[in-house]
Amino acid sequence: MLLELKNIFKWVNSGGQRIFLLKDINLSVEEGEFISIMGPSGSGKSTLLNVIGMLDQFNEGEYYFFDESVHSLKEKHRSNLYKEYIGFVFQAYHLLDDLTVYENLEMPLLYKKYKSAERKAMVADMLDRFNIVGKKDLFPAQLSGGQQQLVGVARALIGKPKLILADEPTGNLNSKQGEEIMELFKQLNTEGVTIIQVTHSEKNAAYGSRIINLLDGRKV
Amino acid sequence: MITHNVLLYLRTIKKHRSSFLINLVGLSSGLACVLLVYLWVSDELKMDKFHEHDEHLYQVRRIVPIAPGELAVVSSNSSLMLTALQQEVPEVEYATAVYSFDNNASLEIDDKKLSASGIMASEAFFEVFSYPLLSGDKNKVLNELNSVVISKDLASRLFSNTDAVGKTIKVKEAEEEIEEAFVVSGVYEIPKNSSQQFDFILPYKTFLKYRDPDDIAWYSNSSSIYVLLVPNTDIVAFNQKMEGFVAKRHRYVQEEKVLFTKFSDNYLRGSFENGKQVGGRINYVVLFSIVALFVLLIACINFMNLSTARATRRLKEVGVKKAVGANRKSLIVQFLTESVILSFLSLGCALLIVIALLPWYNEITGKELTFSVAPEMIFTLTLIAFLTGVLSGSYPALYLTKFSAVNVLKGKISSSFGELMARKGLVVFQFCISILLIVAVGVIYMQLDYLQSKNLGYNKDNVMIFDIQDGLIDKADVFIEQAKELPGVVNATYMQGDMTNFSNRSSGHSWPGQTEESKHITFRHAHVGPEFIETMGIELKEGRTYINEKPNNESKIILNERAVEVMGLENPVGTIIDMRGPNREIIGVVKDFNIQSLYNEITPMALLCRTEWRSNLVIKIKAGEEKTAIAALEKLYNTFNSGLAFDFRFLDDQYEELYRSEQRVSTLSKYFGAMAIIISCLGLFGLAAFSAERRKKEISIRKVLGQTVSQVTIMLSSEFIKLVLISIAISLPIAYLLATNWLSQFAYKISLHFGYFIGAGLLAILVALLTVGSQAINAANKNPVHALKDD
Repeated sequence: MLLELKNIFKWVNSGGQRIFLLKDINLSVEEGEFISIMGPSGSGKSTLLNVIGMLDQFNEGEYYFFDESVHSLKEKHRSNLYKEYIGFVFQAYHLLDDLTVYENLEMPLLYKKYKSAERKAMVADMLDRFNIVGKKDLFPAQLSGGQQQLVGVARALIGKPKLILADEPTGNLNSKQGEEIMELFKQLNTEGVTIIQVTHSEKNAAYGSRIINLLDGRKV
Repeated sequence: MITHNVLLYLRTIKKHRSSFLINLVGLSSGLACVLLVYLWVSDELKMDKFHEHDEHLYQVRRIVPIAPGELAVVSSNSSLMLTALQQEVPEVEYATAVYSFDNNASLEIDDKKLSASGIMASEAFFEVFSYPLLSGDKNKVLNELNSVVISKDLASRLFSNTDAVGKTIKVKEAEEEIEEAFVVSGVYEIPKNSSQQFDFILPYKTFLKYRDPDDIAWYSNSSSIYVLLVPNTDIVAFNQKMEGFVAKRHRYVQEEKVLFTKFSDNYLRGSFENGKQVGGRINYVVLFSIVALFVLLIACINFMNLSTARATRRLKEVGVKKAVGANRKSLIVQFLTESVILSFLSLGCALLIVIALLPWYNEITGKELTFSVAPEMIFTLTLIAFLTGVLSGSYPALYLTKFSAVNVLKGKISSSFGELMARKGLVVFQFCISILLIVAVGVIYMQLDYLQSKNLGYNKDNVMIFDIQDGLIDKADVFIEQAKELPGVVNATYMQGDMTNFSNRSSGHSWPGQTEESKHITFRHAHVGPEFIETMGIELKEGRTYINEKPNNESKIILNERAVEVMGLENPVGTIIDMRGPNREIIGVVKDFNIQSLYNEITPMALLCRTEWRSNLVIKIKAGEEKTAIAALEKLYNTFNSGLAFDFRFLDDQYEELYRSEQRVSTLSKYFGAMAIIISCLGLFGLAAFSAERRKKEISIRKVLGQTVSQVTIMLSSEFIKLVLISIAISLPIAYLLATNWLSQFAYKISLHFGYFIGAGLLAILVALLTVGSQAINAANKNPVHALKDD
């Protein structure tokens, strides 16, 4: 078991009322799964993804990641946990504009205490694997959206995570570029990486092995 | 990681040049201010500290009642004090008495004659003070009656080298009427950071030799006494013990108390008020340190404001980094690294500025500061730059890194109320300081101007003064008569001491109708020559002035109005009083005139006329004919004093000298004030540019809906002008208090006008308007279509 959510609630207080973002979510994910989270806007997809990614807190419930109880971990441990096991892919790529492709890929490694030589090898490996060696010195603004997202995925993968969380990874791409990214995910999945993606598109969801539907913060 | 941070920062600089430049210019000017002041302050603090026994080196002073309820602290002491201290006080390890000649003496060897300043000091002088002796034995150089110790500088002026021991110098001095040959027994050097500068030292024995034994008494004051106390003496207890040391020795001194003060404190804490040490130059040292730090702080605030205002640019980076696993600490370190890098870059620029400005700065401060790369200096510089970096980076670093990755990446960050308040608060703080400085500059300038132009009761213009030396000593009267005949000379006379400081004081006088209270009044007195009152342009109120009628003048006296008033004399002229000698007839009363700096009120004063008490010649010259007069006087002077340079000074320069430190404060505060305002405005400029950028869309919508360019401009400007108005409201009352406080030390001062403060406020608003207005107009004139299209 990779992770397990038990009775997760998340809410915000607004004008004396409690508005639930997530209501009683129960979910277990095995290693090697490819899950798509679907649902209308505002149904809590991204919130759920962020909770899984430990970027966001929840108010009630239990969360186990590799049998560690995330809900009772200190911030520092939690951050170590996701640093080691989780990679993020964003809809808007979120590459750093002032860094080259190479540097963008290297950046996460800086926070993981790799030696310089190791970092070089890992980045070179990733550039090779995604066929972007020729673009390593370009800045994000010089790349197409698809290429940027490619770098985004490469950056998520560089720390060799067990789990990739992707928040509408193809949302800003045209269909051809989107397909390429989805193919990439599929291939990664067959190599053993667990993937959870948020998507609006039935077509993209079909790449996954399981679909979770949300409505008003609740699993349906 | 470091390389990553540095690289990223360099790219940021390249991308956002204007913010970078604003910060660089601001911080380097701020740092330059701090460095300049640091150089000055460290030099001031080192003054007189080179003496080996600085810790135990004390000066003996006396607290003297000069009027009911008023105490003065004087530094002169009787030579009897020296012997008494040496014999009776075990805590005194060494003691030395020093007598300083008021005027230069003339020194002569074979063919050379020059004028030099000198002192007379007793044997232990070089034991107490640590002026390095280049030759001679410090225990012996002042032992022989006919020996003289000279400075290295004088040695090279006299002998063209420092090998002077054993050579004979003829010394001629007017005041003590010394005219004798002395043999050089040693050569000393005076370090630059010594407040005392003198060219030669005669033995104190010579001083005693030239004194009438009757004049050597507890109440006659002429020498300064310095002591080395044995180590670990508790000075407070010692002062308590010594307080009554002189009181029982003579009836004239029975109300006096003895006070030991640290010698090296004289320079910075030389002011006394009612018997208490109250500061002095140290006030300016503190003041300028604070001002410099404020200027730097203003620059730091610019950095904080610009960094946080433009946070949106960096927030994405924070979010992404947090999402890929960066913790807050590493991000804080990243932002601090950036500000520290900026701070060190600024330090580099500041060093260049300091090196370029140093000659000019030395001129203003009257110092010879140099910039040397000593380990201490490097350490201080590094520390200052590092602290500046951390200080200015701290708020942005803490602010930018506090957001959670999710919120940042979703763009859910809006400036909170508190954060806006903080930013505005900082701007208000900057402008408060700037306005305070504007007011300070204005008030100091006007007060000094007032002092310079105030009617002193005498005319200080075109009055030339020079020492009575050498050949003039016996023939001053002849010189005066001949000088009066010269073209361009209006009048000539002599006096004892300086017009700007009649230091002689006495009490215990009697006159008809004296009351018990007026018995203790202290009078200042000056010895002047005939026609002194005319030469100086002092106004006579009644009676007559001194004319050349020696020896009759010796039994006469002239008082000032204030003296007559406190003495309670109805018909002063003709009254016989006892003052500095019995049976003196008051022949005239002069209107009050100022003899000291205008810190002090006019005190009761007497003018006496005695030919044997004179040290300076005073010549009034016709305006416009200075050159002819000086040339003629020099020619005449040379016939009396062959070989001695004609060394004269003008009274108005001497008067200005009284306000030298204020003058410096004025000049420096002008520059620092300008600096503070410019840096503040740079910050405002940056913020205004940012605000215009941020409100681009709002401005476009407003324009599309029909607002005119001027309405938009006013809207944008008013956002900042409001802040300046708040600053004015806060700072003007403070400025008023500070100005009143500063002025209170002057007996004669400008009255604080409401308009000064309004003026300062208007100036601040004007400067701010110019800064912000250009940005606002620029933004308001943009075509709204472009901004709206961007969305």
